[in-house]
Amino acid sequence: MEMTINILYFGMLAEITGLASETWLLKDGLTVGDLKQEIGDKYPLIRDKKFKVAVNQQIGDDGTKISFQSEVALLPPFAGG
Amino acid sequence: MDHCYWFRSKVIMDKIHKPKKVFVQGPISPQFVADSIARHQSKVNIGAHAIFLGQIRADEKEEGFVTGIEYSAYEEMAEQAFHAIREDAFSKFDLTCMHIYHSLGLVPTGEISLFVFVSSVHRRAAFEASEYIVDEIKTKVPIFGKELMGPAGEYVWKENK
Repeated sequence: MEMTINILYFGMLAEITGLASETWLLKDGLTVGDLKQEIGDKYPLIRDKKFKVAVNQQIGDDGTKISFQSEVALLPPFAGG
Repeated sequence: MDHCYWFRSKVIMDKIHKPKKVFVQGPISPQFVADSIARHQSKVNIGAHAIFLGQIRADEKEEGFVTGIEYSAYEEMAEQAFHAIREDAFSKFDLTCMHIYHSLGLVPTGEISLFVFVSSVHRRAAFEASEYIVDEIKTKVPIFGKELMGPAGEYVWKENK
């Protein structure tokens, strides 16, 4: 099964992709670790960048599952303050 | 704009949440800070305010001196993160009142981008909470910043240490 996920990009990652968000067709039951791999394949420049993946507005780790209803965002290092 | 973000009554020990936006467009003006202080003069159970103001520094980089920071954020997640920080600070410290404001968009060097304002009956809680809240904001809130420099529009992406 495949699912359609909208991925949000922020800061320098939006600059690399040239997009604020993008629709991906991904395997159902994908994890954050799998997603990072896919993103690195499509955007090799992102591989060298430090970033976190938020799933439903919570920072996930490589094992975090992504479902078809998930809100996924790629977050570069924080700079608030 | 006249009331505390949060107000904890000593009598009913109940928190009343009055949602207000944390983000403001552009710099936070000294007048805004002054007005916030003035609005607390009627809250006579408060004996101490602690205020933290983050100001944009003219750091020297290879490309030149920083002239300003352009902030952006994952706003929905950031609002949630601010909410969690507030909840947390209220459970850890004996606070009467708390306000947090952060800039989005361009903030020139020398201007204010973060305003944390906590109030308590005695000073200790306010001092400790303000430090805690600022540290939490720097590590947990998805805010991004471009440090701008030079006439040709050069910039580097800022990263909190």
